[in-house]
Amino acid sequence: MSTPQADPMTKAGGRSNRIAEIFARQDVILLCVLIVMVAFFTIMNPLFFTSYALANILQDFAPVMLLAIGQTYVILTGGIDLSVGSALGLSGVTCAMTMRSMESGGSPVAATILVGLLVGVLTGLTVGLVNGFLITKAKLAPFIATLATLGAGAGLTLVITEGVQVAGGPTEVITIGNTTYLGVLTLPLILVLLVLGFLWLMLDQSRFGRWTYAVGSNTFAARGAGIPVKRHLVKVYALSGVLAGLAGVYVYFRLGSGSPTSGQGQELNAIAAAVIGGLALTGGSGKLSGTVLGALITTSVLSGLILIGVAPNWQQVVVGALIAGAVALQQVDFAELRKKVTHG
Amino acid sequence: MADEVIYEARGVSKTFGSVTALDAADLKVHACEIIGLVGDNGAGKSTLVKILSGAHQPTSGTLLLDGQERRWDSPADALEAGIETLYQDSGLCPDLSISANVYLGREILRPGLLGKLGLLDHKQMAVKAREGLEQAGIGVAGGSRSVSKLSGGQRQAVAIGRAITWARKLIILDEPTNHLGARQSAEVLHVMKRAKEQGLGVIFISHTLPHVLEATDRIVVLRLGKVIADAPTSTFTPDSLLKVITGLAGT
Repeated sequence: MSTPQADPMTKAGGRSNRIAEIFARQDVILLCVLIVMVAFFTIMNPLFFTSYALANILQDFAPVMLLAIGQTYVILTGGIDLSVGSALGLSGVTCAMTMRSMESGGSPVAATILVGLLVGVLTGLTVGLVNGFLITKAKLAPFIATLATLGAGAGLTLVITEGVQVAGGPTEVITIGNTTYLGVLTLPLILVLLVLGFLWLMLDQSRFGRWTYAVGSNTFAARGAGIPVKRHLVKVYALSGVLAGLAGVYVYFRLGSGSPTSGQGQELNAIAAAVIGGLALTGGSGKLSGTVLGALITTSVLSGLILIGVAPNWQQVVVGALIAGAVALQQVDFAELRKKVTHG
Repeated sequence: MADEVIYEARGVSKTFGSVTALDAADLKVHACEIIGLVGDNGAGKSTLVKILSGAHQPTSGTLLLDGQERRWDSPADALEAGIETLYQDSGLCPDLSISANVYLGREILRPGLLGKLGLLDHKQMAVKAREGLEQAGIGVAGGSRSVSKLSGGQRQAVAIGRAITWARKLIILDEPTNHLGARQSAEVLHVMKRAKEQGLGVIFISHTLPHVLEATDRIVVLRLGKVIADAPTSTFTPDSLLKVITGLAGT
């Protein structure tokens, strides 16, 4: 504690630096994977490396990124949110239905868009709050709670749309969603990037972020330190819901109609992004920068596969393989790290 | 030792369904005093600790802090009142840095608008965490290092240092020398005595009787949920203490 421990501490410092280097390299590895992939797809089909294709990838990236940010917060607490795809679908159609009915009721375009956006986000928030309630009050495991809302959300989407696309609504929507600036950026995409920046800062620099890590790292210690763990978990699931709501609105703006099936399987992409990005499913460890790279990798693979002529039906197979591969790699790393820590 | 009673449990009981984990237990802690709380597994030590620290609410009985009856609805209430508890092996978040752990739940925010937005003042926390640990007699290099990279003894040192940094009245240490080597244990006991010199009350829970006999002023023995002995440490020998704990001797 006083002087006698100074020596082992310094030794541990040297060891930890080496481990820190390995961790720091995780970002670098992901970046290399991304570059190699881009190179591969470009060689297979030069169209891949054009601003048109890049715009497309970024358009696909945005909703996945929104879901993956929420997933990152949730996984850092040691949970999982399977409901984000369903929440995206439900929010998209509630947003579309609101705008359609306001439009036919003769409301001004600006008001229609704002209210529609609000309804979409609130739908997502509701799904998140239900998750938070099921997990903290009904004490369901996050996996079960969000599996339940995945099912319920997808079902509800079909009920209220009767399984039909919700078309109509102001034409300005599709204009806003698809007008590009600088060749690749749309207004919604810029907003997504701002949200990403804000939540990145929040995770790394704010007390909210610190508590998110703490809850997943050691719930017991977090509670003992006076952190309101349950309230924090509700907030994190609510955040994930809000982001899914935003993703639903985003997809609506892009397609100009609310599709009841647009969220199907999206939770898979979000979890893939987080896991490829190096998040530990046990909670407490990982970075949002990893998730961003994970989301870029996931969406580039999916676009790339289409460009080189792989049938879209193969997409989920590939994402599944990516998740399995990423988790397997993580485990190899952990085993080695443990050896280093105990024997090193 | 002649100091006033700072924390007292009066007739505290706790039942879980039909099981009585704690049966009308009394406990007094004075300022500048280390109490050893001992007992066999299932004697009710953990239950008592959880009640004292606000993690459980007693079924009956009262808690008095500085002579005033208090009720904790959560550990946060007890923390606020100056009672720090260090639970067995689980006081820290391994993925967070040393200074983040010291300031866990009490983060310093940046001044001005940024602080209102919840942004952390990393620098100030690092400096103050270091000062706090040093004052508790714990020198730790590299406060930004993650706790998962520390040895068991170092982690325990940080955990105790954290508790002492924040305790204003009392610290409760549940098995702080568990899994520690001889030298590290001696350091923990030393830090405990230092906390006592600073005017704190200390409750030391341990199965390691030599540590209890060495470091404490008074020993309270729990058996089957009841306090069966409460006497100055000098009145016990290793042998007599063991007999009281196992129920082979009365007092």
